[in-house]
Amino acid sequence: MKILVCIKQVPDMESRFKPAASGVWYDESDLAWRMNEYDEYAVEQAVQLREQLGEGCELTVLSIGPDRVGEAIKKALAMGCDRGVHVQDDAAATKDPWQIAAIIAAYAKDQGYDLIFTGMQSQDRGSAQVGVTVAEDLGYACATTLVGFAYDNGTVTAKRELEGGIKGVVKLTTPALVTCQLGLNVPRYPTLPNIMKAKKKEIQAIAVAELLKEEPLAATVSFHPPAKKGGGIVLEGEVGALVDQLMGILKEKTTVLR
Amino acid sequence: MFLDLTEEQKLIQDTARNFARAELEPVAAGLDQGDDREAMLVNLKKLAKLGFMGLNVREEYGGTGAGCIAFSVAVTEIARACASTAVTVSVNNMVCEVIQAVGSEEQKRAYIPKICSGEFTAGSFALTETGAGSDPSGMTTRAVADGDSFVLDGSKIFITSAPYAGVFVVWAVTDKDAPKGKGISCFLVEGGTRGLIVGKEEKKMGQHAASTNEVIFDNCRIPKSALMGKLNDGFRTAVTELAGGRIGIGSLGLGVGLAAMDYATRYATERSQFGQKISCFQAIQWMIADSYTELEAARLLLMNAAFRKEQGKSFAKEASMAKMFATEAGNRACYNALQMLGGYGYTRDFPVERYARDARVTTIYEGTNEIQRVIISREILRHFS
Repeated sequence: MKILVCIKQVPDMESRFKPAASGVWYDESDLAWRMNEYDEYAVEQAVQLREQLGEGCELTVLSIGPDRVGEAIKKALAMGCDRGVHVQDDAAATKDPWQIAAIIAAYAKDQGYDLIFTGMQSQDRGSAQVGVTVAEDLGYACATTLVGFAYDNGTVTAKRELEGGIKGVVKLTTPALVTCQLGLNVPRYPTLPNIMKAKKKEIQAIAVAELLKEEPLAATVSFHPPAKKGGGIVLEGEVGALVDQLMGILKEKTTVLR
Repeated sequence: MFLDLTEEQKLIQDTARNFARAELEPVAAGLDQGDDREAMLVNLKKLAKLGFMGLNVREEYGGTGAGCIAFSVAVTEIARACASTAVTVSVNNMVCEVIQAVGSEEQKRAYIPKICSGEFTAGSFALTETGAGSDPSGMTTRAVADGDSFVLDGSKIFITSAPYAGVFVVWAVTDKDAPKGKGISCFLVEGGTRGLIVGKEEKKMGQHAASTNEVIFDNCRIPKSALMGKLNDGFRTAVTELAGGRIGIGSLGLGVGLAAMDYATRYATERSQFGQKISCFQAIQWMIADSYTELEAARLLLMNAAFRKEQGKSFAKEASMAKMFATEAGNRACYNALQMLGGYGYTRDFPVERYARDARVTTIYEGTNEIQRVIISREILRHFS
């Protein structure tokens, strides 16, 4: 059995973000980086499955990005992945979800993965498109926003989170891809001996140009903080006129009155 | 010159930080106020399972083999959340390291894996006595050879972790007629040994969850094989091998100082007086600038000492410099942080008074800072004479 888990390295969400000079993404300097939270659930679930299946199962972790993503790959290896794939791309942040999915699919298509785990979405771009697009590219069955997972003999039983707290259960036959949501599991801390052992695990480096043949479908054109709210409107005058004025504003500019 | 941590060291720092935030910080204030110590002991076991008790210990003895820099950054992260847990982790690591450095193969295999795995909650050093603090060579606890045993008699004070220690590294006089410091030997005594009595727990100013006790040896019979290192060579072990512990305590002081300043700085950006945030006042800005600069200098001194130790170079002077500076910078940071919080800083509703009490002992234990200055100046003066 071959398993792939795809991870993204994102900034610590407590960081102060400011737009980069390009105006289409945030400035990456002086940020602390960590593994995308949803991808940690994906890694944990993949490692649990790896432990369930034991010998004869290989778990690969893949990440796309500059040199620094090596640290996120190392963490996944320390958590229990067997080998790493680092798609080297200094400009990964500017690629749209279509391209990121195309890179992963191009890598995975000849590898014969039975199961692919991804996070539900990234904490920075948050498109939630990459996992499902990879599944589509590869012709895999797909279930999203997993909060429960079981695997037995080629069948995945996935508990999904629906709107309003409702849960749904779907069964998928491998090959399949699942995207993981908060509540699926509690990611383990990598033990220190495993952090040291991860140093000896293989990380295959692949240049992005070898995998990416697609143009972007949805290029980001602007990245900016929300506009500062304007000052409030101060109404003055006699009470009767004020009420009329207020009613008018509420009808025109809000949905409070129709 | 390469001043960044390696990927492994960063991951260890990260793991320590995440664990400290999730598991240690939520219970730290309660432990300080006298909550059942059990919460800390449970966390110590978890830290052992993760590999934090033998950071600079070889894998064959159950250690992590991650080195001294990793040890330093881990202790700092743990101390940011809970100084009591941090001092226990630091001492456990040093007990493992001393046994690894001086112990026989049997002793290493008997004790180091048990501390590293958490089977032993802790290990303890039993060096200090009522009349032998900064001058341990003045100790009076004695070990008398008797057949195939030694018999220990005497008492020790300020012994960290004594009630839950699985093994004690004990120093005792084995040749009372030898010149000062030449007749002391080092022994490994298991917790629960008949005649080893854990005495009263000190009521301390801070670091409340870490137990500090008197330990009494009353006709305590231990096998000859309990001797660690050479007979009458124990004092040298105490003064040389314990230098690494100073890196641990310096790292702890740094962690507490960072916790205090991080808290106070965030507070200063929220608290308004005279119609503006107090972080807009130069008086506050200077405290922030001074303390963070000192803490950064402390970090670099610690990294330098740890790096030298890892490289197998002499590091006693550097470890003393780092311990002295980091613990004093940590205390000054706590003083400034408390000042920044004003009256609130003096109350138990805010964590800064706890940090200030926890930091205070770091200039005293693991060798007072006055003794560190003696070591530093002696090393320097040697090159001028």
